[in-house]
Parts: sequence; structure tokens; C-alpha cells
Amino acid sequence: MTDPAAANNFVSQAIVLNGWDLALATGLVLVAGLVSLGLRLGLEKRLFIAATRTVLQLFLLGLVLRFVFEPSSHWLLALIVIVMLLAASHAAVQRSESRFPGLTLLALVCLAVSAMLTTIAVTGLIVGVRPWYDPRYMIPLLGMILGNGLTGVSLCVDSLLTSLRDSQGHIEMDLAMGATRWEAARGPLRDAVRRGMIPILNSMSVVGIVAIPGMMTGQILAGADPAQAAKYQIVVMFMIAAATSLCCILITLLIYRRMFNSRHQLRAESIRRVNG
Amino acid sequence: MLAIENLQVRADLSSSDLLLDGFSLTLREMDVVGIMGPSGCGKTTLLRTIVGLIDPAGGSIRYKGQSPQELGWPKFRRQVSLVPQRPVLWDGTVYENIARPLRYSEDREPHDRDTVGEFLAKLGMEDMIDAPASTLSQGERQRVCLLRARFMSPNVFVLDEPTSALDEVSIGRVERMFNRMIKGSFDTAILVATHDRAFAERFCTRVIDLAEYMPAGKAVTHD
Repeated sequence: MTDPAAANNFVSQAIVLNGWDLALATGLVLVAGLVSLGLRLGLEKRLFIAATRTVLQLFLLGLVLRFVFEPSSHWLLALIVIVMLLAASHAAVQRSESRFPGLTLLALVCLAVSAMLTTIAVTGLIVGVRPWYDPRYMIPLLGMILGNGLTGVSLCVDSLLTSLRDSQGHIEMDLAMGATRWEAARGPLRDAVRRGMIPILNSMSVVGIVAIPGMMTGQILAGADPAQAAKYQIVVMFMIAAATSLCCILITLLIYRRMFNSRHQLRAESIRRVNG
Repeated sequence: MLAIENLQVRADLSSSDLLLDGFSLTLREMDVVGIMGPSGCGKTTLLRTIVGLIDPAGGSIRYKGQSPQELGWPKFRRQVSLVPQRPVLWDGTVYENIARPLRYSEDREPHDRDTVGEFLAKLGMEDMIDAPASTLSQGERQRVCLLRARFMSPNVFVLDEPTSALDEVSIGRVERMFNRMIKGSFDTAILVATHDRAFAERFCTRVIDLAEYMPAGKAVTHD
């Protein structure tokens, strides 16, 4: 997809940041802290902790990625992928206000299947990386897919479980009138997938007009050709849209199978509401 | 028509305690059977179990010689149809609510609006065919649900406290509607749970007291 010589040319234009540059950036956060102090917003401590975490987490990520990008570290790559999937499925379930036992496992299956399929399609087929699991491509792409996928899954799960619990009377009335489980569940299932897809559809609608995506900004700052960065961003947006829709459809179908049995009964008693 | 044998009813799937044990009933054409019993004895749960919204702990149900599994649960529920005590209506008009079961019916001919209007008039709801369901009183909602079941035309009506939100005049109208239906159709039966003994004695051909099927030692409050 890309001409390596041209790409190197652009990369060489990247301005290398040193410690002094980072210190100046820290000054920007200090200004925010001083404003908080001056206006007595009480945010200084939280700002300090958040800034410290940002520095530590990103430096740690940089160090880990250096190791992961070594060609021989397959086991480390596998470990990182597993940790990313576990963290994403846990976060997806934690963000939903309605849950049931075993939901994290379902979220893990959906995120793993959709994220891996889409990532492999992008690295192996579209970008044409060899090998397809080259960590330099796979980790950032997987991260973007999982970040968006988990938001989709959490919105989807929350919508579906809330709907199944709150509309139990209506769903059971439909079943009592002879609806199949699919007919009775269709409305809540459709609404859940729609809800899960809203963020990515909104992003796709305004991308490049309201906001320049972080990945494209990063590429441009790192010296890439803006037109090339735009192409990458298009691929990324489509990749995220595909993965998120796959995630939402999969989790919706798995929850449907879990909540409706072959006797066309709704089994919503295991749904629990948390945080409220 | 409907044969229930040794049904064991539990409150929910997570509970091992039985609400009712050994409930048996044979419902024949033109039967109107009342189910009575103390509060909390499991009338509603029994009806939900009969239509298969809850699994029984044991026993069997057969409709015209076939089990619901053999017939298919949705088809079984179109023939043995529950009207719950709490009326369930959707956004939309009264007519749209009455026509809703057509979505799930093999016969998808829409109900004749005039016929629906005539039935609404018989239940004291003339000119309400296009009224939004959200504007109805509780009694009107209950009547619409009964009318919806009437238009669904199952063979077995399973009615849970159908008169709980109705005044005396409306109860009389509902009784007349179902009595005419039973007499005019030879393959229909009604199973009705009620706490209203006078209604049961007037409306039903026989009454079953659920207290007989409650496991020994179960504490209940009498109505």
C-alpha cells in the first residue's frame, strides 16, 4: 500500500522530542493547575495524579512496545493481545449498568472474534503487512478496535438488558400471544445494535470536519504525508465500523440465546442492575 | 381438549420449593373452570406455567393429545392463550393493540374494524377504536386486553383475574361476551383464576380450590 522510500522520507521529517520539550509540555499542565488553585476548583490533586499517571503509563507502554516490536517476541505479543482482550471485555461489562453472571465471558468472545478478524483483514489483506501479526501494526490497530468495540458492546449490553428487564411484561405478552422468541425479542435486539453503533456512526459523520482523529494527527506530527495519513484514517474508520458492528451483533445474538430458551421463554431473572 | 396431569408448580426457576403439587385438570369443550384459592397460593404462577412462560417442576400438559413441544410452543400459545391480570398494551391505538396478535398468527387477515367497533361497544367502549391506548383507564385497559384475546380466538382462554379492575356493569358485559362466545362455538373453553367467589359461581361451570394442591405446611393468607 505504501512506498517504503516515500514513507521513510516523511518519517525523517518528524521532529524528535527531548526532555526539555516534555518539561515545557508539563508547564502547560502546571498552568491548568494554577488556574484551578486561583479559582479554587479543587482539581489540582486530581490533575497532578492524572498527569503523573499519563507520564508513567505512556512511558511504560513505550518501553513494552519496544520489546514487543522485536521480531522474536511472539510470546510477548500473544500475552499483550490476551491482556488487551481481557481488559477490554472487563471494561465493557463494567460500563454497563445491567449485567448477568457470565457476561464478561460473552463480551470476551465477541471482542476477540470481531477484533481479531478485522485486525487480520486489515494487516494481512489491506495494508499487506508481512507477517500479518507484525506488532508495529497489529497492536495499535487492535487497540483502536478494542477501544471502540468495548464502547459499542457496553452500550449494546446496557440497552438490551435494560430493555429485556423493563419490558418483560410486554415481551411475555407477545410470547403469550404466540410470538416466537425471535419475534418477541426483535425490537429490543434491533434497538441494542443501533445504540451500540451510534458513537462510531457519529464519528464517521463528522470526521475531518469537527475533529481531526488522533491517529491522523499523530501520523502528521510524526512527519507523514497528510494525504497518506487520510488514507490510513479512512481504513481505520472503516475497520472500526466493521469491528464495532460485528461486536454489537455478536453480543446481541449471544445475549438473546442466553435470555430466551428453546421453549420460547424469557429468562430475565438473572439480570441485575448495578450503580443505581 | 387440555389435559394437565400432576403438575408441580414452583415460584421461579431458582426456587426448589413447590407452590402447588399434583395439580390435574381435564378441560373439555365449553367448560368454564374457575381457579380459586388463598392469596399467594400460586394462581398466577399456575396459569403462567400452563401456558409455558415458566417451566413446571414436574407433570405434563397436553393439548388435543399433543404436548406443547410436539405442537411448538408459539402454536400452542396461540391455542391456549393467557390474559394476564395486569393489562399489557403498547403505544398506539386501541385497534392497533387488538390487531397485534395478527403479527404472530398464521391467518394474517386484518380484523374488520366495524366488527372490532361493535365488540368495543358491547364492552361499553364505543367510539374508542382510534383512542390512544395511553389515555385509557385501568378498567378500559383490562377490557381491551380481554377483547384482544377474544379476537385472537384461541380454543382455551386462560384468564388471570379478568375482572379485578372492572366495575359491576363492566363485569356483566364481559361475562355476557364470553358466555355468548362459549355457546356459539363448540370448541372453546375457559380457565379463569379469580378471587371473586360470586363471579366464579355465576360464570363457571365448576370451580377448583387450589388449597387442595398446596404442599403441607405452606403459610398463606386467606382472602
